[in-house]
Amino acid sequence: MVTAITIYMLVWPVIVAGVLFTLVRGFLEDWKESRDAGRPII
Amino acid sequence: MGSDMQQLGGPLIIALLILFFGGTMIMSVMIGRKRENADGYMTAGNKIGFGISAASMTATWIWASSMYASATSGYTYGISGPIHYGLWGALMILFIYPFGRRIRAVAPRAHTLAEVMRARHGRSSQLMLAGSNVLGSVISLTSNFIAGGAVISMLSPFNFGQGILFVAGGVLLYTLWSGFRASVLTDFAQVVAMLGAVVVIVPAIFFAAGGTDMIAQGASNLTPEQSNFFSSEAFLNQGAPYIAAVLAYAIGNQTIAQRLFAVREDLIKPTFITATVGYGATIIGVGMLGVMALYLGIEPVGGDTNNLIPQLASTFLGPVLLGLLFIMIIGSLSSTADSDLAALSSIMMADVYGQNIAGKGKANPKTMLLVGRITMIVATGTALFFATSQFNILDLLVFVGALWGALVFPVIASFYWKKVTNAAFSVSVLAALLVFIAVRFEWVALTGAYGIFIDVLSVIGIGVVLGIMAFGFFGKKTGMIVGIVAAVASAPFVIGFLHDYTVLSGSLVAYAVSTIICYFMSFRSSQDFDFDLIKERTGDFDPESELDDIDRELDGLSADTARPTR
Repeated sequence: MVTAITIYMLVWPVIVAGVLFTLVRGFLEDWKESRDAGRPII
Repeated sequence: MGSDMQQLGGPLIIALLILFFGGTMIMSVMIGRKRENADGYMTAGNKIGFGISAASMTATWIWASSMYASATSGYTYGISGPIHYGLWGALMILFIYPFGRRIRAVAPRAHTLAEVMRARHGRSSQLMLAGSNVLGSVISLTSNFIAGGAVISMLSPFNFGQGILFVAGGVLLYTLWSGFRASVLTDFAQVVAMLGAVVVIVPAIFFAAGGTDMIAQGASNLTPEQSNFFSSEAFLNQGAPYIAAVLAYAIGNQTIAQRLFAVREDLIKPTFITATVGYGATIIGVGMLGVMALYLGIEPVGGDTNNLIPQLASTFLGPVLLGLLFIMIIGSLSSTADSDLAALSSIMMADVYGQNIAGKGKANPKTMLLVGRITMIVATGTALFFATSQFNILDLLVFVGALWGALVFPVIASFYWKKVTNAAFSVSVLAALLVFIAVRFEWVALTGAYGIFIDVLSVIGIGVVLGIMAFGFFGKKTGMIVGIVAAVASAPFVIGFLHDYTVLSGSLVAYAVSTIICYFMSFRSSQDFDFDLIKERTGDFDPESELDDIDRELDGLSADTARPTR
């Protein structure tokens, strides 16, 4: 039970880390695309 | 308030605020244009990429109050508490996605949802939706300033009044010139700070507080209901009212609509899904701090559960991580506050000045920008007034929430059903709001046959909520089946019982009444609305946007010419 609750409490930061990675990668792709196209990122 | 808690020194707080707001200000200056474009100020040209839009959607939906509320839910209802807060909040984003695609398809270059309602129905529908959006954003802005003032006063020697001035000034400073474009770009930096902080702080507090020993030894601090992952108490008190609010908040929030109109159309799906997962994991993760406080047997300072997060952090973290937590909270409230400012300015620019004062085609883009900037300043002043006065914004939130609930069916039906008329829209919303107030404040005692009648309406409300959710993803037939099954299945548990819960009953009745009236006023109408008209009636205000379009088309042509043919 202790192990299950520990995993339950700590799995969220792991998922957040995955989302953060996705967002940073997406941002870098946006930045690269805009730089290659010679237009502002936003 | 925090006399027995660790604080960050005044100079350090000032340094962190300068770092945070200075950094966002630099980002804002980097994208600043000498001559801002009115449409860019509202929607950033309708073509932003996945990384920025998903980050912005996530950052906007995470506000400081949601972090505090999730921790409170964990502390109050135990291990399932954060799920019953964060999951339903996340689903608000997900469930608007299918409708978002439809809205964007019929109005690809709109700025606000209210503007689209005018194109579909007319002025009364537009102003009703715009009014509810304005109230919602002012309440949200106020709440974020209050959260900022509270955290600064708790973690530093500065008082609440100084805290809200720091936050309000900082947010206004970087949003004022470039509007939505600044809001969206700075959201990326803010979301990195927020999510990065969650990744570090939640495990750090978990292990500093004893790790698995905390769980083994603190289990006796939880009641059987708090230890139960399938707690009915948590569901009925926290989860169920939130499910009822899922569609209402999604429809009523201009900050989400604004991002819907800003993102590149083919990126709507990944943007909404990523934001759903990001918001859910972040808020549930922060909510676990409340569960940890429960295991540790901690009493919140001053009996206020909103103090739990800073209290745990100041107890178990050193100055570096405490500073990181401070940035996390400031980031969460700033990203939502700047979105509220951008949303409010768009409504005043497009719905009030652009369409109702100047008139479409006659609006001067320069005047529009001035209106937008003045709106931001006035909105900041208004929120500061509410934050410092004793005005109870939660009373206002009750009405706004009901208005949003009443708007759900008429707004959604207006995008799919050609027969919905302006009169049906307006009358159904106003009638639903009136019935909500009568139920919520028990103008007539909810007893006997009247109580049963209200329960029957609530059953219809349940069917409407779940039916609309299913309709969004699976179409009309499935939506009808789910709605009818949900209503029939819930009836034995609701009739004779639910009217004791006036908040939940009021919300469900608002859904039911607006749906019934809107349906019966529309189904016999001879109106055969052409949805293509919306595309013609909404669009750019600024000629510079049209020049941008021509540039894009020329770019496309030259790229096609340059591309080798097969």
